[in-house]
Order: sequence, then C-alpha cells, then structure tokens
Amino acid sequence: MITQVPQPVLEVHDLTVSYDQHPVLWNVDLSLPAGQLIGILGPNGAGKSTLIKSIMGLIPPTSGYIKIFDKPLQEVRTRISYVPQRESVDWNFPASVLDVVVMGTYGKLGLFRRPGKKEVQVAQDALEQVGMTAFANRQISELSGGQQQRVFIARALAQQADLYLMDEPFAGVDMATETAIFQLLQDMARAGKTVLVVHHDIHSAMNFFEWVIMLNLHLVASGPKDQVMTEELLRKTYGGKLNLLTQVTDLIRKQDFNPLKS
Amino acid sequence: MTLDTNALLIILTGALIAISCGFLGVFLLLRKMSMTGDAISHAVLPGIVIGFFVSGSQRSLEVIIGAGLLGILSTLMIDALRKKAKVQLDASIGITFTLLFAIGIILINLFAYKVDLDQECVLYGEIAYLPIDLWITPSGLNLGPRITWLAGLNFFLVTGFIYLLFKELSLTSFDEHFSSAIGIPAKGINLALMSMVSYTTVSSFESVGAILVVALLVVPPSTAYLWTKSLIPLLRLTAALGILIAILGYYLAYWIDSSIAGMMVAVAGAFFFGSALIKGNWPLGLRGTSKPSPAFDS
Ligand SMILES: Nc1ncnc2c1ncn2[C@@H]1O[C@H](COP(=O)(O)OP(=O)(O)OP(=O)(O)O)[C@@H](O)[C@H]1O
Ligand SMILES: [Mg+2]
Repeated sequence: MITQVPQPVLEVHDLTVSYDQHPVLWNVDLSLPAGQLIGILGPNGAGKSTLIKSIMGLIPPTSGYIKIFDKPLQEVRTRISYVPQRESVDWNFPASVLDVVVMGTYGKLGLFRRPGKKEVQVAQDALEQVGMTAFANRQISELSGGQQQRVFIARALAQQADLYLMDEPFAGVDMATETAIFQLLQDMARAGKTVLVVHHDIHSAMNFFEWVIMLNLHLVASGPKDQVMTEELLRKTYGGKLNLLTQVTDLIRKQDFNPLKS
Repeated sequence: MTLDTNALLIILTGALIAISCGFLGVFLLLRKMSMTGDAISHAVLPGIVIGFFVSGSQRSLEVIIGAGLLGILSTLMIDALRKKAKVQLDASIGITFTLLFAIGIILINLFAYKVDLDQECVLYGEIAYLPIDLWITPSGLNLGPRITWLAGLNFFLVTGFIYLLFKELSLTSFDEHFSSAIGIPAKGINLALMSMVSYTTVSSFESVGAILVVALLVVPPSTAYLWTKSLIPLLRLTAALGILIAILGYYLAYWIDSSIAGMMVAVAGAFFFGSALIKGNWPLGLRGTSKPSPAFDS
C-alpha cells in the first residue's frame, strides 16, 4: 500500500542502506506530499533513524537516491531541519539553552559569520513555541530529559526550514507538551511546511498525522492515514504482537465510530 | 626576586604558549579528545625529522609543515582505526602515536650522520635559554628573542582561528551530526583544529618540549572546567591560569634553580589538584562542606 504523489517534496528511489555490508533498509521507494504532518512508524530496529539519517546525507546509501524539493540534498540543505535522537549528544556540554537553540540558525548564517540580534530573536521565539522561555539561560546539563527534548525541537524550529525531519522528538515529553507541540506542527503543516516525525505512540499517531509511513526493514506502507492505518498493515509492520494489535484495532474501531472524527 | 627584561620575556613567552595550548585544549576537552592532543605531540616527531632532513635546520618552515602533516595524518589514522577497523578509541590512539613516534626515532638514527637534531631539545625544551637565542635580521638589527616571536605568532594564529571559527568549533564539539546535517563540515573543522594543535605543539617544542606541551593542552582546561560550566568563562579562566602558571612557574624555578617548563607544569598540576579537592565529590571528612557522593558516582 504505497501511494506515490505528483510533485513530491521528498522522493526516495529504491533506497538500500547498509551498515558494514549488512543491509538494514531494503528498496525503500516513496514520495511525500508538501504541507503535511507525516508519521514514521515501526518497531525498534526497523530502520527509522537510518532512513532519516540517509535522507540527511549522514549515511551514504548502498544504492538508490534521494531528491528533496526536486534537487539533490547539497543544494537545499538550508531548507531542511533535523532533530536527532536526544541520546546522540552529551548534555554535559557547557552551553545554555539559548546557545543551543541559536545553533539552529547556523546553517543559514554559513561559515565565519556570527549570530546577532536577529538570530537570538529567532531562537527566543522558538523557545517560546515549546514553552521553554523561562529556561533560556539555564545550562543544558541542568535540564530534565523532556526539557532537553524540547530544546532540540526549539533548535529545529529556529532553523526556519521547509522540511522538518524529527527522530522521536517526543521521547520523554509529557502528554500536555506533546499535544501542544503536535498542534504547533499541524499549524506549520497548514502553512505549507512538511514535517516528518518518527513516533512510537500509535494513539497520538492516529490523532495527529495526516500521512503515515510504516517501516520494518522494508517499506510496508506510505499513504494517507485513513488508507494505511489498517489492522493488516499494522500487523505486517509490527509482526504478530497480539496485545498491541488488539489495542490498535480497538482504536481504529473507536475512531470509525467517532462522529467528531475529522 | 628580580624583574628584569629577561624574566619578563620568559614569563611572557611562557604565558603565550600556555594560553595558546589552553585555548585549543578547551576544545579538545569538550570533544573528549585530550588524549588525541597527546598523540599528536608525539606523532609529529617523524615530520620534524623529515623537515629537518630536507631543510638542514631545526627552525625551518619545513619542520613545521612536516609536523603539521604528521599531525593530520595521525588524526586521520586514529579516526580510520576507530571507524573502519572498529578499534576502541584509546587503543587507536595508543597504536597510532607509538607507531609514529617509533618511526621518528628510527629516522633520527638513520639520519644521525647527516643531521644534528637535538633530541633533548625536542623532548624537553628549555625556555631559560630564550634570551640568548636572538632574532637578528641580515642587516644586523636585533629584534629580540626568536622564541618569543614564535610564541607570539602562534598565539595570534590560535586566537584568530578560534575567534573566526568559534561557532563552528562549539557546534561541532556539541553535536557533530547536526552540524553535518546543516552543512557545516564537521570533519573539516576537526582536521583544522588538529592542524592547529600540531602546529602549536611544534612551535612550543623548543621552549617547553614535546612532553610538557601535552600538560599545557590538558591540565589548565581541565582545571577551569572544574570551576565553570559555560564556554566563554571557561576560555577566560584557562587564559588566566596560563598567565598565573607562567609567573609562578618562573619564580619558583628561579627560587629552587630548576627547569622553568617543568615548574610551570608542576604549578598547573597543583592548581588542578587544589581545584579538584575543592570542587570534587569527595566523601565527607576529606573536605569541609557539602554532601557525600553515592558509591556509584564517578
Ligand atoms: N551504527 C550502526 N552500526 C551497525 N548497525 C547499526 C548501526 N545503527 C543501527 N544499526 C542497525 O540497523 C538497524 C536499524 O537501526 P535504526 O537505528 O535505524 O532503527 P530504528 O527504527 O530507529 O529503531 P529505534 O526505534 O530503536 O530508534 C538495527 O537493526 C540496528 O541494529
Ligand atoms: Mg531510532
């Protein structure tokens, strides 16, 4: 169940990615529409982070290619924003929250130029959007896990990109904040940005994503949420984990009977 | 105690070297690469020998270029061993610098009949001889001690380098992947930093020697890091420590009539242990205040 779109924002062609000659993503072929909030679902080790990293050019593909805004990555880097998994950095680094968020503006600044008033303002706006203004001058080593995650989201917002790639941005973030940020991402999508989010909670995935990619080493599905969030495809993605699947089927059923469903 | 021109020049040179090393050391520390600095300071030896062999002089540009190239080579080698051959970082460092250092020693012996490389000088250095080693122009003009000029030039280049690339250096130290993702070349910045470390090491050899230069790369930044957790104060404190080390090192060495470079590093060590005693997580009783640390705390 793979839906291709005309004039895609992101196209991935027959992508195979390997670590040490051992492929972990096989023949992924998909295209994504602009202006949507897109979820990437799949079990641990499915290759979700690998897919995002190869889109960002951090891992060279074994075969296949990727085009963003119909161009190779190098030409459009400043239009793409990236939220790595939180564990990828050492949070003991001596920097304040504001310092880290300002880093989001470095791509547009280019080499040698220093961030000025404008960049600091952009960073402060981003902090406000994730509700972290009060922490601007706090050292990042003194934040809780969820707060660190929000700093990473703010840094991505400060990039003012057109395409956002977020690897589990909500890991450890409380429900209220998650919902608030999801709404923010929805607004951004409505404003024409494309937002890709790796996500583990199927419940909120049902609520917020418009387009869903399901991955398990192979591409299982990519299409509008209503068409791909089916029991059969979820079973294909997650294997026969029955407990989870009954929950999901319940959810799907509930949504079907929900008269307020959008 | 005296404060004559010579004393002033030695202290100035010592401080310049300590600050240059300290600034670079801060970034090595943040990248958890302090030992790479150690590796580079040894690995440059074959580069020095070859540069010396080519030019016939210990103080030529060729020596600095040779050392710089070897410094970069050792960085690349450590990285390749770690990423491609999957050797642990500490082992890759150990293998790389001992191997290159050994090659350097073999080269010294091979070329021994051709060149008169002062191994003592490369390994230990002696800042005290600085006032008699003057830079005299062909027209006979005396411009003062050559080593002070070298240290000044080094200081100027290191400060300029860090000033220009401050945002790139801090970003790549914090989050290498993100920086590559937004198009700031993390690998290139890293190599540039390592080249600066190589150049600084070589430029400081004659005054403080190949071994003590490592201490100046590692100890003052680590000391400062015990006191502050933000970057700009960290650099400032490191610089202040550099100056203090040079002054105290000189006078203590003068007082007990010993090696100035050795005393500078001993003073740095004393500062470090003093700070560690005050700021560290010692069990109650070993220090005056604050909570005992849990057993599993490192
Ligand atoms: N650096 C690496 N070297 C070798 N194998 C790796 C490396 N990184 C990931 N893998 C393997 O690639 C596969 C996909 O990993 P990936 O990190 O993309 O999974 P994921 O879908 O993001 O999982 P998670 O939900 O746990 O984040 C896994 O089987 C993993 O073991
Ligand atoms: Mg992952």
